[in-house]
Amino acid sequence: MNKASTLKRILEIIPGGLSWSIIISLILLSFFYPICSAIIIISFDFYWIIRTVYLTTLLVMAHSRLFRQRNEDWLARCLGLSGNLGFSELYQIVIFPVYNEGVEVLRPSLAALSASHYPQEKIIVVMAFEERNIQAHDNALILEEEFSGKFGAYLSTFHPDGLPGESRTKGANATWAAKAVRKFLDTRGIAHEQVVISCFDADTCVDKEYFGCLSYHFLTSQKRHQASYQPMPVYNNNIWQAPSFARLVEISSSFCQMIESMRLEKFVTFSSHSMSFKTLVQIDYWPTNMISDDSVIYWKGYLYYNGDYRVIPLYVTVSLDVAYSNNIWRTMVVQYKQKRRWAWGVENFPFVVNGFIKNKNISLLNKLRRSFHLLESHVTWAVWAVILVVIGPLPMLFGGVFFSQTTIAYNLPKITGLLFKFTLLTSLTWIFLSWTILPPRPKGISWFKHVLLILEWIFVPFIILIIGSAPAIDAQTRLMFAKYMEFNPTLKGNKVL
Amino acid sequence: MLNFQRTRGLLFYLSVFLFCVGLPVILSFALGYKFNTHTLKFVKTGLIFVKTQPAGAKIYLNGKLITERSPASMHELLPGAYKLTLELAQHYPWKAEVEVEAGKVSRVDKVILFPVRPNLQQLNQEKFSSFRIDTEKKMIYYLDQEKKILYRSNLDANNFEDIATLPDKFMQINGWEVSADRKKLFIFNHHQISVIFFDTQMDDEYSASTVLLDYLQEKIADVFWHSDSYHLVVLTDKHVQVVESRLGAVPINLVELNKAQAVAFYDIKGDTLYFSDNQRSPDGSAYNNLYKLELSANLYSLERLFDQPFGAANYLQKEK
Repeated sequence: MNKASTLKRILEIIPGGLSWSIIISLILLSFFYPICSAIIIISFDFYWIIRTVYLTTLLVMAHSRLFRQRNEDWLARCLGLSGNLGFSELYQIVIFPVYNEGVEVLRPSLAALSASHYPQEKIIVVMAFEERNIQAHDNALILEEEFSGKFGAYLSTFHPDGLPGESRTKGANATWAAKAVRKFLDTRGIAHEQVVISCFDADTCVDKEYFGCLSYHFLTSQKRHQASYQPMPVYNNNIWQAPSFARLVEISSSFCQMIESMRLEKFVTFSSHSMSFKTLVQIDYWPTNMISDDSVIYWKGYLYYNGDYRVIPLYVTVSLDVAYSNNIWRTMVVQYKQKRRWAWGVENFPFVVNGFIKNKNISLLNKLRRSFHLLESHVTWAVWAVILVVIGPLPMLFGGVFFSQTTIAYNLPKITGLLFKFTLLTSLTWIFLSWTILPPRPKGISWFKHVLLILEWIFVPFIILIIGSAPAIDAQTRLMFAKYMEFNPTLKGNKVL
Repeated sequence: MLNFQRTRGLLFYLSVFLFCVGLPVILSFALGYKFNTHTLKFVKTGLIFVKTQPAGAKIYLNGKLITERSPASMHELLPGAYKLTLELAQHYPWKAEVEVEAGKVSRVDKVILFPVRPNLQQLNQEKFSSFRIDTEKKMIYYLDQEKKILYRSNLDANNFEDIATLPDKFMQINGWEVSADRKKLFIFNHHQISVIFFDTQMDDEYSASTVLLDYLQEKIADVFWHSDSYHLVVLTDKHVQVVESRLGAVPINLVELNKAQAVAFYDIKGDTLYFSDNQRSPDGSAYNNLYKLELSANLYSLERLFDQPFGAANYLQKEK
């Protein structure tokens, strides 16, 4: 093993090693030094409450921005820009990497795109199929017949299987499609800097104002090419049909993304996102051998521009499918796998730190800050639910007679109980906000579902147990032992638009 | 966006401030530390936790009334002895001296405050000789020797009904018990056992007429119902017997007793008889032993024992 490989392995071990060290240390402390463990638990609980209140406030702020901007006529604002800033020359490319999704998933995505409040002749759509999918060519033909005349250009690409240096990932397919688009643009003499590219999950249905909003922010941003543009993902496509469990998880995911949009210094691209095509070419496209291509693309930009690269939040929604299956157990498995795939974003840590080591132009402070944020977010994800739910009661259960007679043993459950009652207030805020982002109730869905949508929040503690920390621990442990994950798309339910 | 970021920054630093200020306060409270404003030092305290049955008692600590009522905990108490008094209206007060240790909890959580006036109810005004309580069926059975009747009521002494008439010639009653099926009772004295069927619940399976069993040669010490509500387990001065509750039934001697005044307990759930008996060893020493006789198997196996009656001690020796 050479030096680079050794460093990579060490960096891969750090997040999982840290998470497991924290968990095991706290368990051992609960047995042998229960007072010390109780002090840590109370401190963590208090930290968690403050953090929850802080993040909920950010959520309210993000939600307020989203609602203020939801009825904005972005196209009119683009047209009203002084000096035009190049709007008339701007092209939008949309790539839909397709793994094995059928036309029933892809059709609504294209329909939403064609309904955009944006000049359709400026939109170039690329349906990026996998050659190994035997249905790919048939599906491509069906969709071409339906949609090829509705946009400025409509391309279907077929990514060959098993190219050298590639894994079976979404990024590899998207990169293949982006290279094909590059040829298309070059043959038509369209400058790369006049093009914004969006890479959407196959089930992404854009808001009709999305491209107007994206264009406005792109054109008005300083260093427009040194930024990615991140819409707010909501899981509204089939939210009325999805079971409570899956619905709650996805609403929470949307909220987390909205919160992140308020923390610009930590904000990283996630799922469907957009960026300058020029930059995409410069940074050599999406990674072709990593699962978390959506966030790695940000880090590639960050490293390429020596830290002068950012993510600009767009307070406009893109709607995706809730991942669920035909029974609760399978839904849990589907959700677990999806969250594990997201948690596999921990592979960014070795990638980024390795990049930082090679890059001499980013300040040490920035490198340390960003590395710490990245590591802290993944480790916290892996341990928080374990500490709150599993380790919290351990000192009381295994602390022994001496500990049970101490004041801290008496006060521990009372203090934690009181702190968690306080978090109920934040839960009420989340419940209210979740209600406001729901799409209109489709015909045939009872009004009682509205009530259910509120009552289902009582399942939150159960959900915390299932998908709170476990997927993150799983992903980090796999990375620790070099058991690399393969891309495994999430099973999505049918859309109802 | 800049305004949002500025607000967020303020929120962030406010959260950090709250954490930094709040955590020491919470931890010192949890660990029992108290800041002494006179000495300007932290001192470690203890607490007393009080729980009473019933709840709601006033709590006096060193004679001073605490605002909380039981159950309650008194925090930040300096180590030492405290006089604790618990008072609840219409109840006897409870007093004790409680020792408080630094960083420890003194639990006073097993206090029962007894009412000054016990909750005593007179259920009825009857002339009965004895009674039995059936908690399962929520019944009270009353035996009136003078009128020679058995009657019953519910547990609140309502809904009285006569259910059996005792035989006239049965004078002295030493004991009685209602069967597990609640369809009959036995009464006994030293030389007679009578099984009387309840008037209200006739059973086709058994004869409804009163059964009288005479014990002329033996003196009856105790009688028990077997769980089948048909056999009686009888302890006499000479034997442990079983006998069917029918006219002309012949008792089966299961065990021959050495002691004339054996005592017994019958566990009807397991159909097991525990009884005492004497045993004299070859060296002449006398022992008083306790025996266990299981009758849960079907009683036909006991008839085999009837062929060879023997003393309990002899029986056990043979088994060895």
